[in-house]
Amino acid sequence: MLENFQAYLKEKAKLSEAEVLSLTATLTSRKFRKGEFLLHAGEICHYTFFVEKGLLRSFTTDDAGKEHVIQFGPENWFVSDRSSAYFHEASDFSIEAVEDTAVVLLDADFMLRASEINSAFTQFNEMALQNHIRHLQKRINLLLSATAEKRYLDFIRLYPDLTLRVPQWMIASYLGITPESLSRVRKELAKNHL
Amino acid sequence: MSTKHIEAVIAPPAPHYVGDGFRVHNFIPSAAHLSMRRMSPFILMDYNSKFNFPPSAKPKGVGVHPHRGFETVTIAYKGKVAHHDSAGNSGVIGEGEVQWMTAASGILHKEYHEEEFSKTGGDFQMVQLWVNLPAKDKLSKPKYQGLTKENIPVVQLSDNAGTIEIIAGQYQGVKGAAFTFTPVHLQNAKLNKGGKAAFSFPATYNTALLIVEGNVKVNGAETATTDQFVLFQNDGEEFTIEALDNAIVLVLSGEPIHEPIATQGPFVMNTRAELVEAIDDYNMGKFGYLE
Repeated sequence: MLENFQAYLKEKAKLSEAEVLSLTATLTSRKFRKGEFLLHAGEICHYTFFVEKGLLRSFTTDDAGKEHVIQFGPENWFVSDRSSAYFHEASDFSIEAVEDTAVVLLDADFMLRASEINSAFTQFNEMALQNHIRHLQKRINLLLSATAEKRYLDFIRLYPDLTLRVPQWMIASYLGITPESLSRVRKELAKNHL
Repeated sequence: MSTKHIEAVIAPPAPHYVGDGFRVHNFIPSAAHLSMRRMSPFILMDYNSKFNFPPSAKPKGVGVHPHRGFETVTIAYKGKVAHHDSAGNSGVIGEGEVQWMTAASGILHKEYHEEEFSKTGGDFQMVQLWVNLPAKDKLSKPKYQGLTKENIPVVQLSDNAGTIEIIAGQYQGVKGAAFTFTPVHLQNAKLNKGGKAAFSFPATYNTALLIVEGNVKVNGAETATTDQFVLFQNDGEEFTIEALDNAIVLVLSGEPIHEPIATQGPFVMNTRAELVEAIDDYNMGKFGYLE
């Protein structure tokens, strides 16, 4: 179960077939059932997860027991807790399979080896990081300043088909709004389009 | 006229839950022999074999979700189901009744165990079929046909063999209750022990049986038992069902729609681009709103 990751490395990181095969020969993939945890907050996990198939979410639980979704990870997304994967500290987030999911386990050594094999990977990885930071900046801004509708519209641009795959409350949690508020947004949109 | 021979008798696949209220065996499209293309216009069959749900204060079921491009047909054998949709239709169907919802251009709906049934709990047995629409009708206006006992025609078979309830299509010249976009026959054969019924549908139509209750002998030769699915070859017109004990058999036969099928979750269209459009329209509220 590495096919998507291999295709991803060829297409996005511009690695050759031979480079991809040599790099991925020692990688392992794992399957998780819907509802299974890949990581519990407070644990240390040295892996970044590449989603081959399925859907992950990373989230925190506040003192009142309420969950806050940080990120969804459908096919071809990377999901990790960086405190844990790169700084070997207890993780801030939990990671759970929202659907039956297959992931490829990537450790820091993989990133190092990839850069050694082809410097194109270093460039790719840096752009991927910049893009991720850009996304986080936008997300902070939306959470601080945007209306519920604007947050929802941004969400469906980023994750077009997730509205069919995750329950409403999880979307509301990702957007930092109440499920009632999400419901109001959708009602308004329906009113404007019918 | 020649005999329609059996291609396969298929045991129910392992069940899974749809929402928390429907424990279903998916025959079409995931079982061997039963792809969407092979079974067209029937592109999905979820069968909730008889299952006892304990009493529940909160009705179990499936929450609000969209559909576009086809019809959902729910047939109740045991228990009761309530339906609400964004076109403002709602209804409850019980034993022997059918709900025929044309999602077409797009609808939101939810399906739950009916409130009183939910409180008492009990045996629950249902079939949900998805019937595909031809490209020209995929974006037509949504519609809802609630087919109750009073408006489903019944043919009494001779020799006290039993009855045929005609949900759609026709049997012995008697027309069924439902309006369909393409030729579809959907009938419940309720046969008494030893009773026999003969059917005739064009060879090109995709034809199958679901044994809802009892044991039957098909074409005087092969036997099939409760919860099995019988698939016919496309080689002849006629077949017979004989009940070895009191039996209920769902008979389905339809003219295949020879058009490309593109599907993602609750949408069944002809092209990938139409699926992307369906997701976009759903996200933007164009399917309407339902609490």
